[in-house]
Amino acid sequence: MSATARLVRFLLHRERWQLTAWIAGIALLVLASSGAVLSEFAAESARRGIVAVAAANPAFLFLRGTPDGISPGAVFFFQGFAFVAVLSALMSTFFVVRNTRANEDAGRAEVVGALPMRRETPLVACLVALVLADAVLGGAVALALVAVGLNAAGALLTGVATASVGLVFGVVAALAAQAMPSSRGANGLSAALVGAAYLLRAVGDALGRPNADLTVVEPAWPSWVSPIGWAQAVSPFGDASPAPLLLPLVLTVVLGAAAIALQRGRDLGASLIRERPGRAGATRIRRSALGLAFVQQRPTLVGWGIAAAVLGGIAGALAPTVADAIAGNRSLAELIGRLVPGARADVVDVFSAGILGICGVLAAAAGVQAVLRARSEEAEGRAELLLPTPLRRGTWLLGHVVVGAVSVLAVAVAAGTAAGLAFLLTGYGPARVPESIGAALAHVPAALVLVALTALLYAFVPRLAVPAGWLILVLALVAGQLGDLLRLPRWVRDLSPFAHSSALPLESLDVVAALLMSAIAVTGALCATLVFRRRDIPA
Amino acid sequence: MSAHGGAILAAALTKRFGRSIALAGLDLSVEHGEIHGFLGPNGAGKSTTIRILLGLMRASGGDLRVLGSDPWRDAEAVHRAVSYVPGDVSLWPNLTGGEIIDLLTSLRGGADPALRRRLLEDFELDPRKKARTYSKGNRQKVGLVAALARPAELYVFDEPTSGLDPVMESVFRDHVRRIRGDGGTVLLSSHILSEVEHLCDRVTIIRRGVTVETGTLAAMRGVSRATFRVTGLPQSADPAVLPGVHIVEREGDRAEFEVEHGDTAAVLSALGHWAVTGITVTPPSLESLFLRHYGDPVVGGTS
Repeated sequence: MSATARLVRFLLHRERWQLTAWIAGIALLVLASSGAVLSEFAAESARRGIVAVAAANPAFLFLRGTPDGISPGAVFFFQGFAFVAVLSALMSTFFVVRNTRANEDAGRAEVVGALPMRRETPLVACLVALVLADAVLGGAVALALVAVGLNAAGALLTGVATASVGLVFGVVAALAAQAMPSSRGANGLSAALVGAAYLLRAVGDALGRPNADLTVVEPAWPSWVSPIGWAQAVSPFGDASPAPLLLPLVLTVVLGAAAIALQRGRDLGASLIRERPGRAGATRIRRSALGLAFVQQRPTLVGWGIAAAVLGGIAGALAPTVADAIAGNRSLAELIGRLVPGARADVVDVFSAGILGICGVLAAAAGVQAVLRARSEEAEGRAELLLPTPLRRGTWLLGHVVVGAVSVLAVAVAAGTAAGLAFLLTGYGPARVPESIGAALAHVPAALVLVALTALLYAFVPRLAVPAGWLILVLALVAGQLGDLLRLPRWVRDLSPFAHSSALPLESLDVVAALLMSAIAVTGALCATLVFRRRDIPA
Repeated sequence: MSAHGGAILAAALTKRFGRSIALAGLDLSVEHGEIHGFLGPNGAGKSTTIRILLGLMRASGGDLRVLGSDPWRDAEAVHRAVSYVPGDVSLWPNLTGGEIIDLLTSLRGGADPALRRRLLEDFELDPRKKARTYSKGNRQKVGLVAALARPAELYVFDEPTSGLDPVMESVFRDHVRRIRGDGGTVLLSSHILSEVEHLCDRVTIIRRGVTVETGTLAAMRGVSRATFRVTGLPQSADPAVLPGVHIVEREGDRAEFEVEHGDTAAVLSALGHWAVTGITVTPPSLESLFLRHYGDPVVGGTS
């Protein structure tokens, strides 16, 4: 067996649980959402209705994708594929960085690099494993779709399209790992590019042109500069064509070859972007535990803030397009009124409330991540430097919770401000600015509940805190934001804090719920610090 | 903080992690102003003991006083007077060494600027480099400078010189002696016997979570054996018949054997009587003490 084959085998063995979890998770999501589409929109009239509403509503197009027909498969594809594509991309980027730059950070690459093999062999093995992993992912997605009863050709094409997005971003991550001096930097850059690809296709799709009977939307050019847009263009259950997949194929080969060429000429541990010397002493803020927690979280917080601000800004920027689409089409306005009875609210409000709701989830994610930093500080041995000083344990954990709460607020304010300013620029009144900020802030209490829950998890079950913290966030997102799409029962949806957030300006602010959730968050955080004082470190 | 009866007093300390037992009745007593060596094989429970001394972990049983306080219940009081360097110093990768030193010393009340400067010079540490670019030795230096740059009452070092070159080891030893000169107390867990031999006033040896020996090196040597190497031994002479002689290895006119402390004079006079041509006597090294306790056939630790 060649060195490459041995490395591939070793790598897949090392990754077997992580990859299985990712692939099974994505396949289950596909299974659940395609199943929901099939049962909810069993009648053709229902599918025609939902597609017509979506085709005329840029908010829908922005978040989900462009409709390409009214068959059950087409309705699933337009509703769910963009999310599946993002997950496939993230699985692949994290996989590649874990097996390239992270190995260099941890010194494992040095051990492997000293073995009799070529310098680029570990990277080649990683890319071979990437192809295998994405192939299995594509197969699992296809199987899930066949299992719910969609046609096999369309299911297969959907699987291939899913894999194509993973491959492109896998090699993008391989390049990022060459360029960035740390695995953190490489992951950040790759995830930002995945976000950019999602946003490009979101803008292109939102600006797309619907056909006369509102069953198909032709995306505008920005979708054609996004690998996710290319995969959507395959249209497996519409006017199916694998031709657009040539683009990701060529790009994967070119970028993969570039990464291998760079690896061949690069010193172990070196990067295109260099680490510069820093300060010889600490500034005042970096001399306290709270300051440290904040400084550590800052780059991540900036990332979440930018993501939320871009999303919020788009909510405002696209508002006129949304309004025009409805206003210019009287029959459409009537159609929406008929299809969504009782939903006579302003379309612009529906749009901005929906997007700011997503921003609320981003805010919660930023907060959860800030609290989980306490776990990595402990697991990686740095807490053992801080806690033998007179710094109190409870104070230390509370510092991370405070940084989490500040992160929630900062991300929400960034999203609301960006949305409000974008409204202002596109000609809405200045009242939209405080309104948008208020709408974003309405999600803060729910996000704080999740931050406090994460702190409790860390205090009680430190070893499980990281996966459990993210899992709870995802469950809250699924139950609270996607609950209606997945047709979850009311009581399940009510378990999510987001279900108790008020969607301003569609609903009025539920002050009692907001205060109650804030009180729960404060109590939870205090309990967490009390429990944390009573356990061994490291756990 | 004033304390009676020693800087560290641990008696019958136990610690369980689920079913496994890390400490099974450990005794440790460190006097004020001494440098105390803390020795034991991997997994003997040294780091667990240190974490309990620092109040990071809670003992399952036994009595413990550190500087007169219970470190679990009164962690803050103990931490105000203690300076600690873990065995494997892991740092914040995106901060510079200088920033980390300032952070850690600030939490203890702030560094002595002159001392900080001197330590950076002595340890030849560039404080402007990001921690992720430091080698293991340099990470260790950051931990040492941070611990030494603000004077403390008690210093706890867990294998402090791992990763340091011999020159830096001697820099470290100089600073430890300076600490003792200033009245500080040091608990030094180590594997490097020469380091312990050079520095420590008293030593505690632990194994599988229990103290097996404690005392001054001189006293330990007193109960131990010196090694004799002899040449020109007549064919008829047999050292094994002498009192206090053990494990004789004989090859022609050469022999090597161990002699108990009290029987040296008698053995020497017998060797003189046999008119041997050469004698080399090696005093009992710490290593031989160490091996005597570790060398048992019982294998394995508990954590």
